[in-house]
Amino acid sequence: MGKETTSLGGIHISPNAVATIAYHATLQSYGVVGLAPKNFADGIVKTITRDPARGLTVQYDGEDINIEIHVIVEYGTRINSVAESVANTVRFQVEKALGLKVNTINVHVAGLRVSDTD
Amino acid sequence: MAVDTSRVDKLRKKQINGQSMKRLVEAGMIWLKTNQQTVNALNVFPVPDGDTGTNMVLTMQSAWNEIKDLGHRKVSDMASAVSKGALMGARGNSGVILSQLWRGFARGVENKEILDGPTFAKAFAEARDTAYRGVVRPVEGTILTVAREVAEATEAGLNSTQDAIDILAIAVKAADAAVQKTPDLLPVLKQAGVVDSGGKGLFFILEGMLRHVYGESLETPLMSVQPISAMNLQGAMEEVEEGQDYEVVVDFVPSNDFELQKFYGRLEEMGTSIQVGEGEGMYRMHIHVPLDKRYEPIDYVMGIGTITKVAMENLMAQMDDIQKSKTTRISFAPVEPGQIAVVVVSPGAGLSRIFASLGVAAIVEGGQTMNPSTQDILNSFENLPTDKIIILPNNKNIVMAANQAKEVTVKQVAVVPTRTIPQGLAAMLSLNPNEELDSVAERMSKAASTVKTGEITVATRTVEIDGVNVKEGQVIALLDGKLVVSAGSVEEGCLGLLEKAKAGEHELITLYYGQEMPHTEANRIADVIREKYSDRDVEVQEGGQPHYQFIISVE
Repeated sequence: MGKETTSLGGIHISPNAVATIAYHATLQSYGVVGLAPKNFADGIVKTITRDPARGLTVQYDGEDINIEIHVIVEYGTRINSVAESVANTVRFQVEKALGLKVNTINVHVAGLRVSDTD
Repeated sequence: MAVDTSRVDKLRKKQINGQSMKRLVEAGMIWLKTNQQTVNALNVFPVPDGDTGTNMVLTMQSAWNEIKDLGHRKVSDMASAVSKGALMGARGNSGVILSQLWRGFARGVENKEILDGPTFAKAFAEARDTAYRGVVRPVEGTILTVAREVAEATEAGLNSTQDAIDILAIAVKAADAAVQKTPDLLPVLKQAGVVDSGGKGLFFILEGMLRHVYGESLETPLMSVQPISAMNLQGAMEEVEEGQDYEVVVDFVPSNDFELQKFYGRLEEMGTSIQVGEGEGMYRMHIHVPLDKRYEPIDYVMGIGTITKVAMENLMAQMDDIQKSKTTRISFAPVEPGQIAVVVVSPGAGLSRIFASLGVAAIVEGGQTMNPSTQDILNSFENLPTDKIIILPNNKNIVMAANQAKEVTVKQVAVVPTRTIPQGLAAMLSLNPNEELDSVAERMSKAASTVKTGEITVATRTVEIDGVNVKEGQVIALLDGKLVVSAGSVEEGCLGLLEKAKAGEHELITLYYGQEMPHTEANRIADVIREKYSDRDVEVQEGGQPHYQFIISVE
């Protein structure tokens, strides 16, 4: 994906690279306390690996990049605002680092972590 | 700005209950609002939810709306109402963090009737803990750091005082110091020469509370310290007042007990047009003073820090120069909210002036060999007072950066993909800033396609392209980006180009001569062209672009 041709040859950017950037951007977003495995079976495998793509899917259909992010959000925050800033931060960081346009970013709030109740 | 000591004493005796806390929250909100633009100006990233000051104000306002009619007398009740209001109105990243701080604060004062020193400190500690729990990888050098340092300082402060007002004063001081330290912790801030915006916002909230206690005004920002790089000293030149004949600019490193408000107050007694800038611990002050007071600011600054540089100018003498050069200064078309603002990329001063005269709102410098970044383009329009923007990249290598700028902003942006300067100029002629963005952009695209562009430059290497042989150092002519002629001289190149462009079938030929082309030589070549195309209009304009002897439009 992200094929570009220079006078010296081609540059290819793999979806994994995009996922890594998105992963770090997500974890630095305020209110996100973790990424969630996409499904349970996946979760068993993924909890024993340190795959940065855990909880993250990057799709590239030849033209657009679409990113799906499954996050766990801190209980007691305004979830809407948190999810919005995840989408904003990820879009900004990916576009800044790779110079590629991101089409859609879907943030799925897979769960809340309750560290305090009040 | 004198502190009303009798008021402070009275407040000290009167304990802070729910109702007094309400006043503190209100004061924090108002002071933040007063300084909102200062906070907004600190944004480093043009992220779409970018305006930190605005987001924090909206969050505080939501908190205030929740409590303004409440009669709670217990601070615990009041604090949990604040927390609830902040949560519901949390906007943007900084707003969410602020709401978490309030949530922790409320937890810290649980079951308390009044807010005394130890309770205050405990509340700050809980605020810090709660805020840090909300993120996996806390970034230091942000509002989180400021909250942490406030908590640490107030905790330590309990050793010397139990008084709530003293604790608040310690918190404000710690917040200020922590904000100043943020660039050391977060390199991106240092690069931009700013402090963290969210941290600064938190500081204003705390300072507003303290100002309320001290009986100080919350309505007018006493000062605005800007990054040094953002100081507009050129603009200040134009506001010279009668009797303020000297401009003094002093760079200095203040000593440790430097108090900005006092500093401002003293400067205000001396002169006008005061600006103070700050970057990496260094300050720059700018002031206009009367003749007999011209050494006063320097003497004063010498007493409060170490001076690194002094510049003094006689404004009256400068004013004459400005008047003379006024014709060459660029002033942009003012933009009203809701109107379309056009941003163009221009490679030379002359072209910039022509664009300005056609009504562009902002110019990004750049061109063939110096492509502006997406960030440069964003910066040019993010602060324009409208959300309808048209970008004319005027170079095929800049179209992509322009498109990216469109993607990362919240504003409505249309990129009219002009690939050359003449296309950009042609597009400008069909601008109507009051119409719909899309239809204007479409019309501009159409206008751009009606013009032919010629470029005259010198080949940097020997090559054969498009069937034309070129030797290094030869003059070459490009027509709409394609190499069409190689020649021994600029004159020959121009004539060859115009022939290829079938200039005889068009009405107007405009020559924009470049930086390296002397004015007289440009006119001489224009005369040669006029002779050959005697029934066509031939115009000569100063373009000022590098590398290209001429940019030629044929329409």
